[in-house]
Amino acid sequence: MIEAQGLTKRYGSTTAVDRMSFTVRPGRVTGFLGPNGAGKSTTMRMIVGLDHPSGGSVTVNGRRYAAHPAPLHEVGVLLDAKAVHTGRSARSHLRAMAATAGIGCARVDEVIELTGLGPVADRRIGGFSLGMGQRLGIAAALLGDPETLILDEPVNGLDPEGVLWVRTLARHLAAQGRTVFLSSHLMSEMALTADHIIVVGRGRVLADAPVAEVVAGGHTSTVRVRSPFSDDLVAMLSRTGASVTPTGPDTLEVRGRTAAEVGDTAAAAGVPIHELTPVERSLEDAYLQLTADEVEYHTTAIDQQTAGASAPMTEGALR
Amino acid sequence: MTTTTALPPARTAPLPTASRPRPGAFARVAAAEWIKFRTLRSTVWTLLATVVLMVGVSVLAAWGTAVEAVDAGGGPMNAAQLLSAGYQLAQLAVAVLAVLTITGEYSTGMIRSTFAAVPRRVPVLAAKALVLSAVVLVVTVVSMALSYVATVPFHDELDVRFDLTDAETLRMTLGLPLYLVAIALLAFGIGALLRHSAGALTAVIALLLVVENVLLLVPMRAIEVVAPFLPSTAGRRVLFDDDLVATIDAATSAAHLTPWQGYGVLVTWAVALLALAAVLLRRRDA
Repeated sequence: MIEAQGLTKRYGSTTAVDRMSFTVRPGRVTGFLGPNGAGKSTTMRMIVGLDHPSGGSVTVNGRRYAAHPAPLHEVGVLLDAKAVHTGRSARSHLRAMAATAGIGCARVDEVIELTGLGPVADRRIGGFSLGMGQRLGIAAALLGDPETLILDEPVNGLDPEGVLWVRTLARHLAAQGRTVFLSSHLMSEMALTADHIIVVGRGRVLADAPVAEVVAGGHTSTVRVRSPFSDDLVAMLSRTGASVTPTGPDTLEVRGRTAAEVGDTAAAAGVPIHELTPVERSLEDAYLQLTADEVEYHTTAIDQQTAGASAPMTEGALR
Repeated sequence: MTTTTALPPARTAPLPTASRPRPGAFARVAAAEWIKFRTLRSTVWTLLATVVLMVGVSVLAAWGTAVEAVDAGGGPMNAAQLLSAGYQLAQLAVAVLAVLTITGEYSTGMIRSTFAAVPRRVPVLAAKALVLSAVVLVVTVVSMALSYVATVPFHDELDVRFDLTDAETLRMTLGLPLYLVAIALLAFGIGALLRHSAGALTAVIALLLVVENVLLLVPMRAIEVVAPFLPSTAGRRVLFDDDLVATIDAATSAAHLTPWQGYGVLVTWAVALLALAAVLLRRRDA
């Protein structure tokens, strides 16, 4: 269980994390989703006491991380794959980490096997690929058989098999009743791995809900309508209380009405309709819409409407 | 690389619930630091270099003095002087080792793993200082023993005396390991404060080689007063025989520290820097 209360981190005049409050519960995989610069890594570093909050507080299993006598037994952390001395072998690195919590060599060999590092365990970490580095980081996180796992971008640099392995591992650990908190900027990965997601942008929590709910995202249903008389439809549908947004010369987006209701309204008025499509939002759409205003580094000016609801349908992103 | 779909078994042990650090917590941190220390090739090489430098310079000093002694017909020689002949080079090797012990973790990012495992942080600093001190102590004593053996061929010619019941000889003999340990801790403290390998190495080497030696030459009263209290200038008096200490004192009207007082000044510098490093360690983000 991880509980953040008004967690804030300021660097000079920049606020990296802005009064974040959330709870990460055991028994499920909680995704921490947000664009680059949203404050995910800073938040995770504050959870494990590497960075000091400018305000607010965060506890792990009811206690400040630094107050845990043997944190490796409580919390396993993968912050980034580069938090290792490149001159040491993987086995030596893990043995040194294990020693701080009185964990023996047998357990070190176990996590090496578990993460598939066996063939490279005695090589210097400096020669590792990004994927092997990630596996080493995950091995270190598992050393103390911890109740809580915090993994920052765990699938970064992994091959497809590795990605699948991390996903299975995360779900398996959560199924055992552990708290699993993992960050990613890959929405598709989150959709497959997480049960619950916390979406952040510019240091603030934008959504904190089960995956399905974030996808539904408050917009109960959206229907895309194309008609040569779209202006007439806008007036008609608006009168019935639906929210209508023109998205092109002859296309509309209607919220708050089902496709059937929109079709009936048009038929009753004798307005021809060329397209009538219920739009299922993917997690990606929901995420882009949530974070559209919150992205720190825009590549180009994003037309928010285009970036939001009318993005190409990606049905099946939520399997 | 091979991949695996192995999954960890469910936890078997109940969660530890103690809120206070259990006894032995520091011992475990020290054990971890010892593993880290001995599993880096660079530390092993630096230590070997230290031994070679110390023994080599002792042999050279013995040889050179033997050649001179034949010409000048000098009197008996104190073995402690021979054994510490290489202190200037040895202190550089030891200082580099000490700096890298801590800055190597910052430059590679290892420090984040270290502090995530030991979030109280200060035990890490203490454990590193302990491991470093113990290693420097042992390596220095071993080097001195090897130096003694390696210079045996010159002992008769130089009329070498080694009498540890003599207070001066005892001080000079104990002085070398103690001096190098203190220099190591001083350099370690600077490394912990600056956190960057290049910056800290430059600072330490500049302090040991340049600043102190240059200041000794500046004929300004204010600098003359301060100079005897600079870390290495003060500390190395413990290595010198009484004659040399007297010669140095005769050349200046500033404070005349006894050899042990001088060593105390060096230790004070090291302790002050480490204390400051410990305070900042807790405050800074890693």
